[in-house]
Amino acid sequence: MDALTLAAWSFPVLLVLIFLRVPIGLSMLLLGLLGSGVVYGSVSPVLVQMKTLAYVQFSNHSLTIVPLFLLMGQFAALGGMSRDLFKAAEAFLGHRKGGVGMAAIGACAGFGSICGSSLATAATMGQVALPELRRAGYSGALATGALAAGGTLGILIPPSIVLVIYAILAEQNIANMFAAAMVPGFLAALGYMAVIAIYVRVAPRSAGGIPAVPWSERLRALRAVWPVVVIFVVVIGGIYSGLFTPTEGAAVGAVATGLLAWRNGGLSGKGILTAFELTASGTGMVFLIVLGAAAYNNFLALSQLPQELAEWVGTLGLGPYAVLCAILVFYLVAGCLMDSLSMILLTIPIFFPMISSLDFGLSAEHTAIWFGVLVLIVVEVGLITPPVGMNLFVIQSMAPEISIRDTYRGVWPFVFSDLLRVCILVAFPAITLFILRF
Amino acid sequence: MMSKIIYGASRLMAWFGGFVLTALALLSVVSITGRAFSFAGLGPVPGDFELVEAGTALAVFSFLPWCHLKRRHADVSLFWNAFPSLLKRVLSIVSDGLMTAVWLLLIWRMGVAMESYRENDEVSFILQMPIWWGYAASMIPAVLGCIIYSWRLLESLEVVKANEDFVPDEGGR
Repeated sequence: MDALTLAAWSFPVLLVLIFLRVPIGLSMLLLGLLGSGVVYGSVSPVLVQMKTLAYVQFSNHSLTIVPLFLLMGQFAALGGMSRDLFKAAEAFLGHRKGGVGMAAIGACAGFGSICGSSLATAATMGQVALPELRRAGYSGALATGALAAGGTLGILIPPSIVLVIYAILAEQNIANMFAAAMVPGFLAALGYMAVIAIYVRVAPRSAGGIPAVPWSERLRALRAVWPVVVIFVVVIGGIYSGLFTPTEGAAVGAVATGLLAWRNGGLSGKGILTAFELTASGTGMVFLIVLGAAAYNNFLALSQLPQELAEWVGTLGLGPYAVLCAILVFYLVAGCLMDSLSMILLTIPIFFPMISSLDFGLSAEHTAIWFGVLVLIVVEVGLITPPVGMNLFVIQSMAPEISIRDTYRGVWPFVFSDLLRVCILVAFPAITLFILRF
Repeated sequence: MMSKIIYGASRLMAWFGGFVLTALALLSVVSITGRAFSFAGLGPVPGDFELVEAGTALAVFSFLPWCHLKRRHADVSLFWNAFPSLLKRVLSIVSDGLMTAVWLLLIWRMGVAMESYRENDEVSFILQMPIWWGYAASMIPAVLGCIIYSWRLLESLEVVKANEDFVPDEGGR
């Protein structure tokens, strides 16, 4: 069997291992090492590769940003800002039709601007906003659907761990990726709010309202969220302006949110240790996949499969948009089964050369950035689609009285708004890319 | 008794990694501040990049066992509940066995790499810190990790009793 056939056959084997619930990172690591051994025709080059494999990946300077952002997210969750964010958004939006729900989305967006993880955003904002939504008379379906969707803003709005990993794989500038994700992230929040506005008009009994609050109170509520604004501007602004590197930006963010949590008493006693434990499990998960992907992608590169596949797709004579849409649909389907980081680490080394070889009328860099933002959105849809949408479970576990069936029902309109946004961003790359002109 | 030590050790390692990470974040902030005030005669911490790299490796190696015990490694559990219980048991053993075997192999190779860096006296670019120090530091949590993986394998084999006080995150399951 030649190397190419071997690499092609490794996919079904990998899928079988994964479906047998062998951890995804471990499956990739095993197949990568075995496959490389077969391609080399001997174990000794693999043994040489294994000498530095783990340490080099774990000490990779670009990747040091990941645990720092995870720590930042955990400190942000302890910082007590979630309630302030919700109160501020509610003061401005609460009296409108569907206003409390929109406030929850707004607060998720605010929290997402200092937190790079969807699950942390969903968990933190869910705790604050779910009781408030129920009190305001929201149906279980709408309340849980909105919060599960709102949680994805943690990743869609920079900083974002998925974007960092994409940027490393596609060899793009992290600062530019963050900047390009900004407007689409903002559109996501607006889209979710629009969904709620339509939802409560179609089904008026699914939501209640609260009275308007005077402007003096609105401004006071807004003033309370200044730390979030400062941290976002310093971290993202500092990275984008080149004042510090992305990793240093993550360090600044972790220290700043840590100080915030300390000021609000969140770090006392068990708080900081719990934050460390959650950072540990999150980091461990990312780095086992990173390690596995390094071995597996090394094997694929040895077999020349990604290049051959890209060339083959080129000879099919499909339009670039047909290929792009096929890839995006693939992510939507795979996202129903797999987590976003595993998907990206497994597939970007294969899909990225394909996309790079196609002509979208954009520069190579702009194509890469635009594709990255599109991929980010479609993989995050997987967090809110059944059967394994993690955000759905996180929110639903906080409200055992609401059935998971109701949650599934409530989240569909939000998934639809995601799909609509992807179509718009595919049709108009400028929405994503214009910000890079500044 | 042994079970308590194993689970306690992995928790302590997670905390330790968290402290290391926090220290690295503080180090970076000090370094940025120093660089920003370079006109006043201050400067960045020398070799800050190298320290962050070696420190992150140490933290990641310290985090991995905790993640494993908490069952937080990414997997696909879609068909799991449909499997017969015997198959579930066999798969748990296979999965834990593979994890242990791969890591034993990896730390053996890491040890070999450490030895060769030590023999060649290779040092880092700025701090002139021997490369093997970084490997040696990470080796400690890596070896402890292997012991913890083996323990989980023994639990799956039902040679030892599972720790019932410990609640793994089953994610959405």
